[in-house]
Amino acid sequence: MDKTQNNKAWFLVLPVLLVVAFSAVIPLMTVVNYAINDTFGNNQFFWAGLEWFEEMVASSRLHDALGRQILFSAIILAIEVPLGIYIALNMPKKGAWASVCLVLMALPLLIPFNVVGTIWQIFGRVDIGLLGHTLAAIGIDYNYTNDPIDAWATVIVMDVWHWTSLVALLSYAGLQSIPQAYYQAARIDQASRWAVFRYIELPKMQGVLLIAVLLRFMDSFMIYTEPFVLTGGGPGNSTTFLSIDLVKMAIGQFDLGPAAAFSLMYFLVILLVSWVFYTVMTSLDRQESR
Amino acid sequence: MTATRWTPIYLGLAALMAAILALLLWAVPITEEGAREWTGQLIPGFWMAWTFPVALFFWVIASLLILMTLLAIRFPETPRIGVLRIETTRGDRLFISLLGSAFIHLGWLFFIGTPAFWGALILSLVYAAAVFRWV
Repeated sequence: MDKTQNNKAWFLVLPVLLVVAFSAVIPLMTVVNYAINDTFGNNQFFWAGLEWFEEMVASSRLHDALGRQILFSAIILAIEVPLGIYIALNMPKKGAWASVCLVLMALPLLIPFNVVGTIWQIFGRVDIGLLGHTLAAIGIDYNYTNDPIDAWATVIVMDVWHWTSLVALLSYAGLQSIPQAYYQAARIDQASRWAVFRYIELPKMQGVLLIAVLLRFMDSFMIYTEPFVLTGGGPGNSTTFLSIDLVKMAIGQFDLGPAAAFSLMYFLVILLVSWVFYTVMTSLDRQESR
Repeated sequence: MTATRWTPIYLGLAALMAAILALLLWAVPITEEGAREWTGQLIPGFWMAWTFPVALFFWVIASLLILMTLLAIRFPETPRIGVLRIETTRGDRLFISLLGSAFIHLGWLFFIGTPAFWGALILSLVYAAAVFRWV
């Protein structure tokens, strides 16, 4: 069938194209330019070639930050995804309590990142914070400003507190979209609770769960504000994640060249991971529609 | 559209890109000894001090995008499933090639360093050819 297509409408996206070029494409090109030049500000640039990339690729500082970042993302995914599913499964399906639960779950998501950091910063303090003071009273030696393990635990608990709701709400939406007929069929077959979860709920939630994992991965992989406010990357470098390190390098030390090379590599990793997730998601959609 | 109407479009876009490249080459500053300073600023004093290598890099990517757009309009294709077991179109394969090439270059820097850096380019071209053939 031959349809005549009028492609003139494409010209209508020109303004968007210009805005995107000005706000995204040209800045990205600028980062590439920074990455192969040395600069001390004042619009003065000196050619550096691949020097910064060579330095960054071999930099143990970057390797350590990347390692911490991957560990952090892995830990929070391993906690938040199962916990979110568990909460969603136990939330009431209808009635007033369903609305109450939804609002309660949405609350942490509404709090600005720096406020979350501040809340936990004070909450965990041994002198005035409820958590820190209580732990000290029970006799647990807890101090997130001195002890790397305590700092890690606090950052992880903070992220779980802040973001598990997102996984729970997405899973809840996925669960609500399962028609009752599936559950009735399962009851007729006398399926166990586990079998219902494994063969009905989990497959039906697959799509939203992938989105949840993607969102949580991306967010945790570029996390900055909360650990910055809570620990400032310390003690030492123990909670210095990639973006904290990047900002230290770019703005703290004004090493714009290495920082640009660093951020380009960071960008490539994020691009790769997003592409993998996107591909998996779209191929799942296709399988379902077949 | 018929083939005869495509020829002016091809020629026009090719001329445009060639003109841009010529302009960039013309803008490369010349030192006092008369040699071209390839890493010099194209427009002295301009914002961000753009140099020829960066301009060439983006020129190549822009040319690839224009070429692939033309191909996609003239020869629409159906996605196929390759060795990765995912559906890909030509555009997807270009994306995989470019992203993979970036990682190949970084890997070369990590394992070998700057000596024989053109090796990474050759490796990337081989990789891109493989992606377009089998993915």
